[in-house]
Amino acid sequence: MGVIREFIKGLRVTGGTMLRTITGEELVTTEYPKEMRQKPPRFHGRHVLNRYPDGMEKCIGCELCAGVCPAKCIFVRGMDNDPENPTSPGERFGFVYEINMLRCIFCALCVEACPTEAITMTHLFEMSTTNREDAIYTRETLLMDEKGGVPHMFPDDELADMDELAVADGWVKATAPSGMASYQGVKMWQGTPGPGDWDPEPGQSELDARSPTEDDDG
Amino acid sequence: MSEAKLVTVTINGVESQVPAGELLIKAAQDEGTYIPRFCWHQRMSPVGMCRMCLVEIETPRGPMMVTACTSPVSDGMVVDTESEEVKKAQEAILEFLLANHPLDCPVCDKGGECPLQDQALAYGPGESRFVEIKRSFEKPIPISELVLLDRERCILCALCTRFSEEISGDPLIEFQHRGNTTEVNTFPDLPFSSYFSGNTVQICPVGALTAKPYRFRARPWDLQKVESSSLQDTAHPRIEIHASQNEILRYTGVDNDATNHGWLSDKARFGYEYLRSDQRLTSPLVRRGGELVEVSWTEAIDTAANRLDLIKSEDGGEALAVIGGAQGTNEDAYAISKFARVALGSNNVDARLDDALASHFLSASVDRATIADIDDADTIVVWAPDLKEEHPTLYLRVRRAAQELGATLVVIHPRATGLDDRASHKLTYRPGGGYELLDELANGDHPEVSQAFAAEKVVALVGIASHADGPQLAESVAALVRRKAVHAKLMPLNSRANTYGALDMGLAPDLLPGRVGLDTIGCANLAASWGDIPAVIGRDTRQILQGLDSGEVRGLVLVGADPINDLPEPSIAVDALDAAEYVIAIDLFLNDSNRNADVILPASGFSEKEGTVTNVEGRVQKVNQIRPAPGQARTDWAILDDIATRMGVSLGLASAEGITKEIATVSPAYEDLTWDSLEWDHRDGIVVPIHGAQAINHIPVALQGSKAPTAKLTLHVARVMYDNGVRLQHSPSLHKLGPGAVAHLNPGDAPSIGARDGHTIKVVTTRGEGEFTCVLDEGTPTGVVYVPFNQQGASSLGSDPVVRVTTS
Ligand code: SF4
Ligand code: SF4
Ligand code: SF4
Ligand code: FES
Repeated sequence: MGVIREFIKGLRVTGGTMLRTITGEELVTTEYPKEMRQKPPRFHGRHVLNRYPDGMEKCIGCELCAGVCPAKCIFVRGMDNDPENPTSPGERFGFVYEINMLRCIFCALCVEACPTEAITMTHLFEMSTTNREDAIYTRETLLMDEKGGVPHMFPDDELADMDELAVADGWVKATAPSGMASYQGVKMWQGTPGPGDWDPEPGQSELDARSPTEDDDG
Repeated sequence: MSEAKLVTVTINGVESQVPAGELLIKAAQDEGTYIPRFCWHQRMSPVGMCRMCLVEIETPRGPMMVTACTSPVSDGMVVDTESEEVKKAQEAILEFLLANHPLDCPVCDKGGECPLQDQALAYGPGESRFVEIKRSFEKPIPISELVLLDRERCILCALCTRFSEEISGDPLIEFQHRGNTTEVNTFPDLPFSSYFSGNTVQICPVGALTAKPYRFRARPWDLQKVESSSLQDTAHPRIEIHASQNEILRYTGVDNDATNHGWLSDKARFGYEYLRSDQRLTSPLVRRGGELVEVSWTEAIDTAANRLDLIKSEDGGEALAVIGGAQGTNEDAYAISKFARVALGSNNVDARLDDALASHFLSASVDRATIADIDDADTIVVWAPDLKEEHPTLYLRVRRAAQELGATLVVIHPRATGLDDRASHKLTYRPGGGYELLDELANGDHPEVSQAFAAEKVVALVGIASHADGPQLAESVAALVRRKAVHAKLMPLNSRANTYGALDMGLAPDLLPGRVGLDTIGCANLAASWGDIPAVIGRDTRQILQGLDSGEVRGLVLVGADPINDLPEPSIAVDALDAAEYVIAIDLFLNDSNRNADVILPASGFSEKEGTVTNVEGRVQKVNQIRPAPGQARTDWAILDDIATRMGVSLGLASAEGITKEIATVSPAYEDLTWDSLEWDHRDGIVVPIHGAQAINHIPVALQGSKAPTAKLTLHVARVMYDNGVRLQHSPSLHKLGPGAVAHLNPGDAPSIGARDGHTIKVVTTRGEGEFTCVLDEGTPTGVVYVPFNQQGASSLGSDPVVRVTTS
């Protein structure tokens, strides 16, 4: 007897959920792609190469991302900046930047390793292609335009939610951008930055802080 | 060397026996305790600059902190390298070093292989109390065409300054100012134009000195590495080849006792750019109707083989010849030698380009000096090309022997050389007048030199100091040295890097593989493997070229040789190649000599093939492959084996390693030599002949020579490190370093000619004339005009020493 009671008890959960779904009280299935779900803040999606507000590229071609990548899917080569017309601040910029998205496991170690926050991730995950070549994202595809927009390989892709390209994933930093030891062990939540300036982080000295200026709010 | 006395020291509680007088840092390292350091280098004198190597030793007054790099061990010494006090000291030193150090690691070439990074991680405090603004300098300043200096990163360890002063002898980089404004820099208007500048980049413990050709090309974790031996230096210094994505990005020196002590000349260090040149030959070319057209390998080999076969059947093997083979591996040289003898049926084969000593003299094993003998010598005689220009590794070894090891150095050369400042005796003579000086020396006219000869251990480096005297002079010098010092050891010098290997493989008209003369009955295995080979001595390079001109030689195979630019008398080569009926070239590039060839076959170059090479002392080392050859290029031996097969002759060459095995069986000197032993047991190489195999027993004889010309001015033409050779032409970083078309005159001669420094002068000889930029230089004696050989924009002047100089 007890068995039947338990059986009905179980079915009650199933039935209840079914009813609530039919009545629309609690939807479990989203009709992707007609409807997009809100992703968790730390979702790891497609990469983007960022710029500084003045349009300079952040990537310095240091290859730390390529070095740390467990899938070995990043290829970077650096080059001397033309002092008259530099691509990035400092001596060196990344003139080749490629990620093979077929191999990427979206672990975000590259984001973690980047000393200038040049490579970050967005929330876009629709990246299917019909050939292998298109799965290799080059510097042109990854780099945001001077206004802060992020390009997509197939701009008229109906399935992709282009807005997600503008959403940066949040991440936990293990180190402080200033390299200051007082940051050790302090967890910092931060949305990965697009172009623009950010408030100085706790503990950053006056000298380190890059205070936003009037024309820097793009 | 005698066995050093041992003393007992206790390092971190472990007792060990170490040689008395050795520096603590070295003794500890040999016993397995690494003491961190920045400024100590085992090939240089200690300075105690960085204080990173602080350790505690026990003294009667309690523990005392000393720098391990300046403290010799003594008996009973008790050392603690890990005490709390030592750790505190290490942390403090690193905190100070980093106080002014920029956070450049991501863009710093050293990042990833940086001793400062590594030691900061291993021994550093992990944080800094310094919040002040760091010292800043202008970011990298070029201090030479090859090296950049970033003073912000310098930790003032004095490695670069000591190297330049103690090792290479061009003290062009020094500390300036004092206290906390000290910086390392070059002197105003004096670039760091040392032939050895690249070594400072390698030893700099930080990224302060970076090399332009490598800068930003890769990061250490990209690099694949393989050890090899450089073929841009006759001593074959040991190098590590670093490549990424099949492209060679740098060479670094490997520290070994046998050859280079880790040092490389800039030519050997940066001479890889030509390998990735887009001018490399990548597919076989055959001339059709005057034009070179790309064809398949089969077609090219067929074309070449048919024609060689035709000439051979009409006029016999004497109408065919091979020139070259001194730039490749021994395996390639062996294949060339076998190809010429067996397939072509000809002894007309020569790896020397008419600028070398006699083949028997070069490959004689009797009284041959090794590089290690230089260290042991009491007297070193250098009557040879300027070692600094042509034999940089030997230059450093001789320099060290004279400076550190107390050898008496006698330098004889027509003008100033790089060794003069360390020479005990320097004699100069007029080009062409070498025999007169030789007579004087024989008569004892220079007592100080005679006295030097009387020493117990005499090593003589002899070579062609000036083309005006011809190759026989060097042999006569050797004869004189042997007469004056019976136990003297000789090192005959030749310029192209693997000439010794090539001659050991029989690439001379009168030699067979294994240092045997054609006239001696070679080894039985050779006869079995090669069959009947022509018995008459063939033509050397000059005779081959003359034969081509006269039509007696109809077909020529050029293997990696450019006689038009390399011969002291290029006109012979120009005429010969114009007149040649049929020329097949196997090469990396088109050059002046093979541009008009009938068949041009692309060859793989250094680092694109494995094999063995033999250096100036007979040391056989392994060279290794790290990248594929471009396009359809193939190894010399494979190409020649194919041509032979198509001619109906089987050479039986199947792999490079197989060839090494064949060499070991057919050549007495190379007996037992295997790749395994070179790779595992003898990375530094093995000196042949192994087991003292019977080899050429050539005693140098004094020959008669010409007298110095009576002309007012005599011409001295000599090779310099950077010339206009085809490989350097395709190495952009090095090519621009050549002096160009210059003629050096003594300032005393200038007024009578009307020449002024920097102005154009005209130099006329019996063989040619050309316009040169005049350089007034005290190093050139009066009555001598010095012109660097084979320079961009310079016309050839031949080797006749009579010269006329005018101002228009
Ligand atoms: S997310 Fe991970 S796998 Fe993907 S590129 Fe970055 S490091 Fe490599
Ligand atoms: S020298 Fe070393 S520690 Fe200094 S910036 Fe370069 S990599 Fe970093
Ligand atoms: S430049 Fe490099 S090698 Fe020279 S003193 Fe500075 S840190 Fe030492
Ligand atoms: S290594 Fe001893 S003081 Fe620098």
